[in-house]
Amino acid sequence: MQQSFLPRSGLGIKPGVSNPRFCRLLSCPDGTQENLAFYQRGLLLPREFFLIDKEITVPFCKYRSYEINYDIQGNPGTPVIVFINGLTQRIQHWAVYMKYLVPQGYRVLTYDLLGQGKSAKPVLDVNFEENAEVLKTLLDHLSIEKAYITGISFGGVIVLHFGIRYPERVKGLVPMSTFSEMDAQTAQIGCNLYEGMTRVGFEYMVRLLIPLNFSANWIAKNEPQLAAMQRTSAATNDLYAIQNLMESLRNFKGFTAELKKINAPTLILNGEFDAFTPRSCHEILRKNIVHSRLMLMQKVYHAFTLEIPEITARVLLHFVKEVESGQWQGDQTVWIASDDPKSEVVAFPCEGDHTRAIPLIKK
Amino acid sequence: MTIMMKLEEVKNKLAAQFAQNLPTSEQETRICLFLQNIHSANAAILAKIEFQQLAWQPYLYLHEQLYKNAEFITLLGKATKWTMNPLVYMEATQLNLMFWQKARFSQHILGFFQVNQQFYEYLALSHALWSVIRFVPLFPPSLDLHQNPFLSTLNQIEEENGRQIQVQIRLLKDMPVSLSVSQKEELLEKERIVVSEVFYSLLTQVAFS
Repeated sequence: MQQSFLPRSGLGIKPGVSNPRFCRLLSCPDGTQENLAFYQRGLLLPREFFLIDKEITVPFCKYRSYEINYDIQGNPGTPVIVFINGLTQRIQHWAVYMKYLVPQGYRVLTYDLLGQGKSAKPVLDVNFEENAEVLKTLLDHLSIEKAYITGISFGGVIVLHFGIRYPERVKGLVPMSTFSEMDAQTAQIGCNLYEGMTRVGFEYMVRLLIPLNFSANWIAKNEPQLAAMQRTSAATNDLYAIQNLMESLRNFKGFTAELKKINAPTLILNGEFDAFTPRSCHEILRKNIVHSRLMLMQKVYHAFTLEIPEITARVLLHFVKEVESGQWQGDQTVWIASDDPKSEVVAFPCEGDHTRAIPLIKK
Repeated sequence: MTIMMKLEEVKNKLAAQFAQNLPTSEQETRICLFLQNIHSANAAILAKIEFQQLAWQPYLYLHEQLYKNAEFITLLGKATKWTMNPLVYMEATQLNLMFWQKARFSQHILGFFQVNQQFYEYLALSHALWSVIRFVPLFPPSLDLHQNPFLSTLNQIEEENGRQIQVQIRLLKDMPVSLSVSQKEELLEKERIVVSEVFYSLLTQVAFS
């Protein structure tokens, strides 16, 4: 039996400003409004996992001959927070962050990378090094001088690259579930994902990612909708374009030595059980980025921005507020984010050995 | 409005239709005849691969594509609810003839595959065929495609396209052909526009069927 996917409410994306184009908007099948409490408890998949047939104009920015699809919300003049997608994500994955941050007086910018979502998808190649340049072009296009740059996984590497190459455009950095060098384990997982996608199919790669990205609890609660989630991911992406993004890391060279160039306040976020980009990757970032702190997100895996958006948004907001008020202490300490989004403290210091899974006490 | 924008618009229209109703027999017939035409054309081109040397690297890959194309033609025919409306067949024939002309399928049929610009053009065309022409994204993600033979077959074909296109991807990227990167990109873009134009015509017919 078929269900109706007709829209009943919009997501409030504003009319296109530079080069308006029609595109399909993502929304929840039952048309319900977002409710952060659902996500907070991992009770529902974000509505952005589902497609509907609403036509809406969204803005594009030109990078070389390519069009970059972006969305920006919030009042001009307020601090800008940029979100950079992971490999198979698209701008709609950050909608819940927009809903959280914009009413609190921040401007949120999201965009699809070259090869993703509604941005141009070069057939031959995507050069990973260009990603930082694409973001700079977008900031220039929007006349944004400085911004907080956040991103997850693939997008987290771009956060670090951007911080190294364009320090004058950065107010703060938030790399999440990411790395500056790939160890043998991460590289092997990457190879498996690549092979899964090219030999079996795109949806299979998404299936491979699910247990890496989410907790067992979340998977069990969302199981009935996982097939639809995979289909949506396949429908909104093009295999050859995502393959280009993955291949852009084929000649990836570690850049840990360059992390010393980052002077901006940096909050590094790492899921407690992230086996894809494990603690060791984030520990390298913490040790090499001078004004950094490492924040551990409790009980979650690689894609915690999707599993616990309310907690993550709160941690991000707290970071931005501290930097804006001059209270940020980038002292390379390790913290644990509270797992209750309503708790008084946002985070507390980690007293155990954060590099071990066995909870040894530091001596 | 560019062809890509027009294509996006008609896809939205169709997605709205398919969110409410499964494809009618007329719509299935149009889609089937369109895909059968593409796979037939591609199989006709690939048939000459049988004369190539086994040692030629692309031989085995393209050989597999030849038989997969043949398989899809009959499989989709079996899964389709055929319409009794003769006008649908007439319009489909016109569209298919237009596709042969616009995509210049016939120019790739003669001769042998060699590492040259013509082979590169064929690869660019077939890359566009497998990547631009996608029907499954037009259906709601929560719809169980396996409950419907036609949709299930479409899904099977498009999943296979994702595997088949690997040959095109590798050869387009790595084949030592005397074309600059910008020439290659121009050529790829040209083929994508041709395929998008014909796909747009098909989707418009399906939307108003």
